[in-house]
Amino acid sequence: MVNLTIDDKQVTAPKTATIYEAAKLNGINIPILCHDNKLKPFGACRMCLVEVEQMKGRQIPACTTPVTEGMIILTSTPDIVKARKMVLELLLLNHPIDCPVCDKGGDCDLQNLTYEYKVSANRFTDEKFHHEIDYNNPLIERDMNRCVLCGKCARICDEIVSFGALTFIDRGIETKIGCEFEGALNCEFCGSCVSVCPVGSLLARPFKFKSRFWALTKQKTVCGYCGTGCNLTLGVKDNKVLTTIYDDNQGFHKGQLCVRGRFGYQFINSDKRLAKPLIRRGNSLVESSWDEALELVAGRLKSGNVAALATPRLANEEIVLFKKLMELSGSKDYDHSAGYAHSALTEGFAKSLGATASPSTILDIQKSDLLLVVKTDAYETHPVVGFEINMAVKNKGVKLYILSDKRGKLARLPDAKTLLHTPGNEIALINAVAKTILDEKLAGASAGSVEGFVELEKGLSAFTPELVSAQCGLTADEIKQLARAYAAAEKPLIIFPVGLAYPGHNAEMASALANLAILTGKLGVEGSGILCMSEKNNSQGAVDMGFYPEAGAKNAIQILDGCASGAVKTLFVAGENPLVSYPDQTRVRNALEKVDFLVVSDLFLTETAAMADVVLPACSFAEKEGTFTAIDRRVQHFKPAIQKIGQSRSDFEIFSTLITLLGGRAPVSPAAVFAEIAAGVPGYESMNYATLGETGQFAKVAIKPVFNSVSLTASKAESGKMALVTGSALYHCGTLSQYGEGPMHVCPEGYLEISRTDAANMKVGNDDLLTVTSASGSAKLKARVSPRMPVGVVFSPYHFSDSSVNQFWSGAAVTWVTLAK
Amino acid sequence: MSDAVAQQIEEQEPEVDLSLANSVIDKYIDLPGNLMPVLQGVQDEYGYIPRVAADLIAERLNVYPSQIYGVLTFYAQFHLKPRGRFIIRVCVGTACHVQGAPRIVETFFDKLGIGHAETTPDLRYTFEKVACLGACGMAPLAMVNDSTYGSMTVQKVAEIVDDYNQRPLK
Ligand code: SF4
Ligand code: SF4
Ligand code: SF4
Ligand code: FES
Ligand code: FES
Repeated sequence: MVNLTIDDKQVTAPKTATIYEAAKLNGINIPILCHDNKLKPFGACRMCLVEVEQMKGRQIPACTTPVTEGMIILTSTPDIVKARKMVLELLLLNHPIDCPVCDKGGDCDLQNLTYEYKVSANRFTDEKFHHEIDYNNPLIERDMNRCVLCGKCARICDEIVSFGALTFIDRGIETKIGCEFEGALNCEFCGSCVSVCPVGSLLARPFKFKSRFWALTKQKTVCGYCGTGCNLTLGVKDNKVLTTIYDDNQGFHKGQLCVRGRFGYQFINSDKRLAKPLIRRGNSLVESSWDEALELVAGRLKSGNVAALATPRLANEEIVLFKKLMELSGSKDYDHSAGYAHSALTEGFAKSLGATASPSTILDIQKSDLLLVVKTDAYETHPVVGFEINMAVKNKGVKLYILSDKRGKLARLPDAKTLLHTPGNEIALINAVAKTILDEKLAGASAGSVEGFVELEKGLSAFTPELVSAQCGLTADEIKQLARAYAAAEKPLIIFPVGLAYPGHNAEMASALANLAILTGKLGVEGSGILCMSEKNNSQGAVDMGFYPEAGAKNAIQILDGCASGAVKTLFVAGENPLVSYPDQTRVRNALEKVDFLVVSDLFLTETAAMADVVLPACSFAEKEGTFTAIDRRVQHFKPAIQKIGQSRSDFEIFSTLITLLGGRAPVSPAAVFAEIAAGVPGYESMNYATLGETGQFAKVAIKPVFNSVSLTASKAESGKMALVTGSALYHCGTLSQYGEGPMHVCPEGYLEISRTDAANMKVGNDDLLTVTSASGSAKLKARVSPRMPVGVVFSPYHFSDSSVNQFWSGAAVTWVTLAK
Repeated sequence: MSDAVAQQIEEQEPEVDLSLANSVIDKYIDLPGNLMPVLQGVQDEYGYIPRVAADLIAERLNVYPSQIYGVLTFYAQFHLKPRGRFIIRVCVGTACHVQGAPRIVETFFDKLGIGHAETTPDLRYTFEKVACLGACGMAPLAMVNDSTYGSMTVQKVAEIVDDYNQRPLK
């Protein structure tokens, strides 16, 4: 700490603080324009000028100058105020001052500072800018006439997003912000640049002319898409969610969001939302009252042979109620995420760590010294975790190793080492790393005494780097180097995404990876360990609440087979859309057609809901309250931002009415259910619904490591065929984002990514329609020629109802397909 | 940049042979701070920086395409459009100006059918007005590639253009 004086006040500040930070810490506000806490110091605008006595009263920028012991600083002398006024006058010189029609009005740093410094006239005159406004993309309007050249947009896109879409172009008076060759913005559309722009140069187009900033009600909540669990502020007016509002104090991610969180909110007020319950009469679904619909459902639930599938988007409290409802119906057959998408936790970690959760958290990423990421898709599935990885690698020099079947943005980070392997060989590769650790005596001292060590040694005997490397298309040295780097790192952290589109990332993978961490003793130390990134906003919660079958009960696939065979008479699907998102559409369709009675609760008439006998209109997360548990067991509380749309009800209300109808006693409120959770779910003990807040609290994870030797061989390459791998697209999460307009604007349909070489050989160009055929079916998809695909490997994302991948994907990690024009 | 855009560009510039750019990149790929030498080398090969080459450089050097464009527009030495075989520069510095440079410029415009910083469609000529060339004694001054033409007159403009019209393009 250093002692200094700011505006005659004796204060202290950390040694590393800048004058700006020191002042802020002590409640003194220095105006800034180009500075952002999240970005590296830039010092371009001179708004933050202060006087330092030791520097002979020279005016220096507070945002870039570090404090020193005994500094005497004045932040608002008449000279300083004059200088700031001048800065503002110069900025306003070329600026259009079109505040009345600018969406930034009320939230604009330039406007606010102009007001604060009373710059009511300008001593200078000059021409206004006349840049063309860029309307070339659907989500972000770029009006360089309002730009103050603070560079924040370009800096955040580089420093945090690591996409680098924007940069300073030209020089001198011509300088502006733009893309390469003055082209249209064609990027991740995360909106980070929009959120930091201090003026109205970068604006969210979907929000244009929707509301003045000050007329919005701001409701803090938790993102309802992926398991990262970002905190979100919704801007609401007239019971409509009109935008998301940037708050850089929110969450571990300091307000950063991805395209889904930022631009995917429109599903909430979508006019496709179901407003009333529907009951099947003959071939059509007709509107009914809630009473009629629920009594019908209750009747079926009473008559037995019931099973349930839930989406892990439901709140913890709802999942608990759903489970109670199933118990009342005499059923133990309930599951989520097609069963395999949670098996990394419920089987893999359960066996290897004695816990169904990850021992590490997202916060460990910045404290680690080596990240081992399985699949570059980690960036697509959990983009804001991707930002954390970018920052760790770029700012902290954390080493990055990637095991992946394709390249991706992570692979372009500085000094990233990508082990590009043939698809489906992850387990063998990880085992070969473990084998090297054993053979080269790199294991931790206590590894030998961990249960299962002998079996592991035996199990790994066939996985020599030499053998495995040949099978993976790598060199033995690459594998050995990874093993050495991992073992040598003090705090290595393993990260892997799981989800419906990643059937290969299952129990075996979780155990194989856990073996690495246990072998080297890299568990339980801050910054190290293993983080399984489950897919949806409450995937971890669904596991914690135990919404998966106990031994002997049916899992998701067995439930569907039971529907087909007649063993399951009534299927209750809450929010899942298996017809699109589960593998093997024919099998799912057959099951849903055969089952006697299908109940679906959902926001929309999804493909699955359209087959139902009763459809119950559920509400979105923005209309209800409860808790979600993020991938790292951050339990966060969310509150309603708007009134429920139409007659929709929360799944909480739906389940509790049904419980009552079945003669049970339903808890009165989510708070009451949470009290039960806190009392019963290990790790949640100390939590209190009322004080949890939207940034939440971590549920503790107690682990007991055991070696669990696993092996899994990739399916044999079929000659003349391509290896298809499925996964997530950056712009989407599950099937819900199809109803969010933003994601659909920039990524409206499924596609097939193919390498340049294969495309050239097949004479295929972008957007050419390809027929993809596998043993289980075929579909037509548009080609996307991509530098990131290796020869012989194609990739397709799974989110889309039209031409969905499950027409030719039956749940294998690698599907062998032929392509035809 | 999306592949779709890349492809369109490729269609517009079918004659760009990327092997030239690739060998320049090969030469510098392992050197730190290689962006400037690579851009200069590539410009030497093509006479300008074709967009496909810029994209190739971005991909191979792992630099954002936007950043490359930023550099290309920051330094006057880089050209983004194909340049003529013959670069005609006419000095419009003070000495040349008073000696009648504006008329020389106008005459070149007329004869060539292009303006300042433009290139004829057949890629024969690029015309540029430049500031003092440091030979004020010869004002008004013109240059074609490395040849200097002093005491320019309207007559001489016609002669120069006639002369260079005869010369081979390659
Ligand atoms: S939206 Fe995101 S990726 Fe696109 S330019 Fe802005 S910060 Fe960069
Ligand atoms: S567009 Fe906005 S963020 Fe970017 S430089 Fe201009 S004012 Fe700053
Ligand atoms: S989708 Fe995931 S990463 Fe994106 S904002 Fe929401 S929680 Fe964050
Ligand atoms: S805020 Fe300090 S120079 Fe811009
Ligand atoms: S002014 Fe033309 S050469 Fe000096």
